[in-house]
Amino acid sequence: MNIWILPALLRNLFSKPMTVRFPYEAIPIPDDYRGEHIYDIDECISCELCAKICPNRAIEMVEAPEKLKEKYPKKYPQIDLGKCCFCGLCEEICSKDAIKLSGNVFLSTFDKSTTIKHPFSEE
Amino acid sequence: MIDQLEPAPEKGEYDFYFGPAHPGSGNFGVKLKIEGEKVISARADPGYLHRGFEKLMEYRLPLQNAVLSDRLCILEAMNWNLIHAQAVDQLMHIEVPERAQYIRVIMAELSRIQSHIIWYGVFSLATGFDTGFKIAFGYRDYIMDLFELITGGRVYPAGYLCPGGVRRDFPPNTEQKILSVLDLMEEMVQLEELENPSYLQRTEGIGVLSLEDALRLGATGPVLRASGMASDVRKEEPYEIYDRIDFDVPVKGEGDAYARNRIGIEEMIQSIGIVRQALDELPGGEVRASKFKKPKLATKIPAGEVYVRNEVARGEAGMYMVSNGEKTPYRVKIRGPDFLHMIPVLEFLLKGAEVADIPAIYWSLNICPADMDR
Repeated sequence: MNIWILPALLRNLFSKPMTVRFPYEAIPIPDDYRGEHIYDIDECISCELCAKICPNRAIEMVEAPEKLKEKYPKKYPQIDLGKCCFCGLCEEICSKDAIKLSGNVFLSTFDKSTTIKHPFSEE
Repeated sequence: MIDQLEPAPEKGEYDFYFGPAHPGSGNFGVKLKIEGEKVISARADPGYLHRGFEKLMEYRLPLQNAVLSDRLCILEAMNWNLIHAQAVDQLMHIEVPERAQYIRVIMAELSRIQSHIIWYGVFSLATGFDTGFKIAFGYRDYIMDLFELITGGRVYPAGYLCPGGVRRDFPPNTEQKILSVLDLMEEMVQLEELENPSYLQRTEGIGVLSLEDALRLGATGPVLRASGMASDVRKEEPYEIYDRIDFDVPVKGEGDAYARNRIGIEEMIQSIGIVRQALDELPGGEVRASKFKKPKLATKIPAGEVYVRNEVARGEAGMYMVSNGEKTPYRVKIRGPDFLHMIPVLEFLLKGAEVADIPAIYWSLNICPADMDR
């Protein structure tokens, strides 16, 4: 047996494991992580650039519902997270910084309809 | 009932399937004919991971294609990003800023290290050396953390090495973080020297590929170097800043599974050296050419054609791109190193091998079904 296995063995016996206990602790997520989108409808100018650059065509421009039509007369991006590849090109092309990718990575869901981010959901 | 069953023939040929659902094979299968424990003939069964990138790229802008090029080989996305970015740069005559060239090399070499770590891990798993697998995948995560910090994604960088440079600069203190991860990688390479006799018995003298056969069957990269030929695109046709960097090309003459595995580990040591040198000389300045500062939908690719070849972790990769002046490329042809490794070389090596040696031969070729099927 290779003799220098012993120091490695001793070191590993008394050191912390490489893994973390996930639900209770998690590795920190950097600020620039490409996770769920944050969309600010008041900044948006409806230029449709995000919909055009999206490689997966995950962004669709939709109209506001009737009660909000007066305030928001144009079309606004609706993002399908099921199609999104989180490349961040929409964030890069947006001249008004209305769309940003956040550090939220916990996106798994049992309900398929929740993968669609409607631009008016927070109104 | 039992009387109706035919007794198994005492001697004869059997059909034997390795993959495509085998946990160690990836999305790729081999149909084998065996007699007893000997493989009589092997036939590769590719196509389970075909996604049609060459056609998809004809309908997308260069920046969108950069995102797509990640998926060419999942295990080393950054190297394929680089080759696509270089093809577009050459077609559009873009001067890439110097800092971006250094960052490109640093990221490509980190990607090569983590790809070789996966290779070492799965090869250990295939030969029943579980400790090697756990060491490899544990340490690989440190590089994944670096990718997460720099590109914003762990496995897919989403076209981080894009046409015109890189998509964003290093965040603050990244250089120190890369250096500390490189120290950990050196520690891991030392751990990989821990080999027991049974590991050597399963790999030494198995799947011997002579230099003549390697050249005849079109092997490149680590497989060719393990058979005794010092061939490396980074030395022969230096791209980016490889001509300013001092590194060796490891060569071995045995051509067996063990030699190929050793080449991987020696290349990791060389790559660590390359990243250290590039970090030492990393200049300041812009990271993206002015033409590609902000994504533009109307940028047209000038008419022309270009062939770029690069050294990726698995061998020599090439990309042929034709443009007829439109916004999207007219034709893209991708040459992946694994197509030749996984079909002619693998079929040749498996012929006459023992059944127990199939995983060792299979994984010693550093295969990637994603790269082969494209």
